[in-house]
Amino acid sequence: MLTQVITILILVSIVGCILYGRRLIKTEKVDAVFGNPERAKGGTHWIIVGSSAILLIWLYYSWDIAKGFYPKSANELCQVAKINESLLGLKYQFPIEEREFKSTSIIKIENKNLQKITTEIKNSQDLSTQQKKILVGFINKTGQLIPLLTNDNLMENDTKDKIKQMTDELKLLSSNFKKKNYPFETEVEKNERQKAISEEGGWGITTVRSGTGSIENTMEVPLIPATNRGLKFHAAAEELAIINDKFFKLRNHNPQFKNSIKRLKEDIKEYRKSLNDTEEIASAYAKDIVKIARRIEFASIYPPNALNEMQNAIIEFDNLQKSEQGDLRLIDILLFPAGTIVSSGTSCSEQGSGRWLPKPSDTLNKFILMSKPSVGYKNIPLLWIDMMDVSKIVGFILPDWLADILPGEYPIHTKDGVVKQNFKGQVLKVVTGDFKLFKIPVPYGHIWDSFLRVFLGLVFGILIGVPLGLFMGLNRFAKGFFDPLIELYRPVPPLAWAPLIISVLGIDNTGKVFLLFMVSLSIMIISARAGASGTQLSKIHAAHSLGASKKQILRYVIFPNSLPEILTGIRVAVGMCWGTLVAAEFLAGTTGIGFVENVAKKYFQYEVIWITIFIMGMLGLLFDVTLRKIIDKTIPWRGKG
Amino acid sequence: MKKIISFLLGCFVALNLSITAANSAANEVRVAYFLEWPSPNLEDMQKKNFAKALGVPVKWTNFTNGGAMTDAMLAGDIDISYSQGLVPFINAVKSKAPIKLVDIAMEYGMGGTTCVTSNASGITKANATELEGKKVAVPLGTMAEYVFDESMKVVGADRKKMDIIQMDPEEGAAALVSGDVVMACLFGGNSIKAATAVGSRLLTVQEARDAGILGIDITSVTTKFMKENPGMLRTFIEVTHEANARYRAGKSDMNSMAKASEMKVADMKETLGGFKFLTPEETKQSMEKGNLDAFLRGMGTPRGNVDTSFLPL
Repeated sequence: MLTQVITILILVSIVGCILYGRRLIKTEKVDAVFGNPERAKGGTHWIIVGSSAILLIWLYYSWDIAKGFYPKSANELCQVAKINESLLGLKYQFPIEEREFKSTSIIKIENKNLQKITTEIKNSQDLSTQQKKILVGFINKTGQLIPLLTNDNLMENDTKDKIKQMTDELKLLSSNFKKKNYPFETEVEKNERQKAISEEGGWGITTVRSGTGSIENTMEVPLIPATNRGLKFHAAAEELAIINDKFFKLRNHNPQFKNSIKRLKEDIKEYRKSLNDTEEIASAYAKDIVKIARRIEFASIYPPNALNEMQNAIIEFDNLQKSEQGDLRLIDILLFPAGTIVSSGTSCSEQGSGRWLPKPSDTLNKFILMSKPSVGYKNIPLLWIDMMDVSKIVGFILPDWLADILPGEYPIHTKDGVVKQNFKGQVLKVVTGDFKLFKIPVPYGHIWDSFLRVFLGLVFGILIGVPLGLFMGLNRFAKGFFDPLIELYRPVPPLAWAPLIISVLGIDNTGKVFLLFMVSLSIMIISARAGASGTQLSKIHAAHSLGASKKQILRYVIFPNSLPEILTGIRVAVGMCWGTLVAAEFLAGTTGIGFVENVAKKYFQYEVIWITIFIMGMLGLLFDVTLRKIIDKTIPWRGKG
Repeated sequence: MKKIISFLLGCFVALNLSITAANSAANEVRVAYFLEWPSPNLEDMQKKNFAKALGVPVKWTNFTNGGAMTDAMLAGDIDISYSQGLVPFINAVKSKAPIKLVDIAMEYGMGGTTCVTSNASGITKANATELEGKKVAVPLGTMAEYVFDESMKVVGADRKKMDIIQMDPEEGAAALVSGDVVMACLFGGNSIKAATAVGSRLLTVQEARDAGILGIDITSVTTKFMKENPGMLRTFIEVTHEANARYRAGKSDMNSMAKASEMKVADMKETLGGFKFLTPEETKQSMEKGNLDAFLRGMGTPRGNVDTSFLPL
């Protein structure tokens, strides 16, 4: 329902905004010539068109529009897919969707293979003339097998009858299929089916598996036919599958052929036995010839016109089922772009863009589900609040050796098995945070962990990069000393360090934060340095002549002047950090957005992958908007120096 | 404006048709396989016997993990995956991928996939419950995760209480060496060698075998290829089983197998020592009510994705 409303709203807004835009062009008086930036100002309506178009493309190619307007279509298409699946094996024998008969193409390939092996044998240096003669004889005999199969007169009556029977079955199916009440379902069967449908659920249902808390795609496309039209196709598909199996097992083997191939096989077997170990090559060729003979034996080769009636029956049924599809065919073509529903035995699935592009509605539902702290991903919520005792913070800040350097010994248990606490023991408890204070709420979860990593990497990068950059911009020693080092490491993509990180810094946050720190550091140094060396000399001179000290010049002239550059650097660094974070969390993860994406990939959970992509986009945007606000607030002099 | 609209419409039509047009007769069979994971039929691959038996060229592409094989099959670039791990296959059919299991490539004792605990942690099979609350490296979604699950059942530790870290085998080994994790579950000769240098196997190869933990690699095929070229599929499996029979009879050409799997002959023989190549009868048995069936049931796999009709019986 929501999808329908949104789709219509989007369409209306796109059309409306385009009309508005065109009218505006006609009515608006623009004095600005081409090339004047004035002409690019304004245009909220184009923003609406742009973002609506993206959403529309997403809705369309994820087949969400189909789901919104025709919720039953996937189930019906699944039944059609069952027919296509059953027909596939039959159709493939005939020039319906292929260019030639399967028989023709097999004969062509095998004749070519026989020719190839003949030339090989004739040109072989390792075979004696006698051997060549025998082998070529075998090849000729193999080649003569084919006419035995394609000769109409040799074809057995039994085979003909079977083909006739199958053709009749197909014709009967066609005539039944046209009837309205096909497949003549009884009331009991109907009730059973209805029950099964209600148990099965709808298109794209996701549930939380109880116990493990992992989200699973329980039902992609419902399999049991829910509509009368679907039922028709379902029943026909089952009948077709039986015919298909029969046809698959049928072999056009007449007595003459059977005798010939038996003799050929025996001859070759005897010949191979008669060869000694030094004549391995001849033996191998003989074996290859047998293989070709066996392929001919197993292939479905029929006389040229023997299957004509059957082909017509198949084409007739195929056309019939296509016309019976009615508007479903149109829906398939228009609303299931770049793919369709495919059946594979026990299940139907979306194949094409619907598979890897999850529906916005499904994605939203899953996101809401994952946002619940009790569900989360891999038992960790996306973002939630945990109550943490302040003692933990105290224990983290105070170093543990404080207790060690105190005089005395740690308490030892007594004879009665009681541990009596002493002062040194008490201190140890305090410095390790093993006591109760009051609790404060602390955020945790995948999003928070990722956020924290980026934030810490950034803060360390700024704390070290900015002073170093300023120093390098102002001091000859610093510039000379650090320049080669930084210029060497700067162009290295941060991910190049990744393989080393685990060995050197371990798997905890240290490694990931370090990787992000490496990213932000070089950017901060470059921008701070550029800011420092870009300060106008006249300003420094002015401050100097007014009696400012070195410190004052740095604090009041150079730093404020380089601040715009630094803040721009931070904005760039944030983007780069997010980019690196995913890869850093791919490395070894228990939490984080990158970890979620990496694990989701392994279980083919496309919705989760898209959710992580959106979360990262949103967080990146949030960081950027915050920074822009900070820039506007703190440096109003930007661009006015 | 008209140009833009016609351009957009053109793109639209092209996109919509792009997938439906990619349907053509099989004039080439595309097979996925692993390097450093030897099997007798690689000799036939090296000697181009498959092409001779199938009558069309066979293109072999090597992959690094079973999940990528599934992706390639779904994208229509691969027809048959040989020696795909069972766990990636199960993950794929759970997400309703149209692929089918048609043969068992090999069964193997878990010599090549195992969990290693570090000596520094002092954890062995006897006190394995101490793993609870500690960090453990596991490559999720692979056979190693299955081995981890089963091993924990054997030693009686609770997986939910552990801090499981998703790590590929090489990284898991590195983390075990640096002491960041107390146990790493991994596969691949080099990773296990690095891990056992500082630790020992939680379960020995024999113990794992006794507990019924075994790996199964399978042959999977796209439903489309199976329907369209049943003859070719049957021949492919037949040649593979012929090669297995040849290997059992000790007549395989080890040099060409080693060349095909890019291993040294000695290393390859050691790896092959842990593999068991089943006869067609044993395969059918395993697929219908033996090891494979039990494995699939144990992992809650949807039924109906196994087809024994292509086995050369």
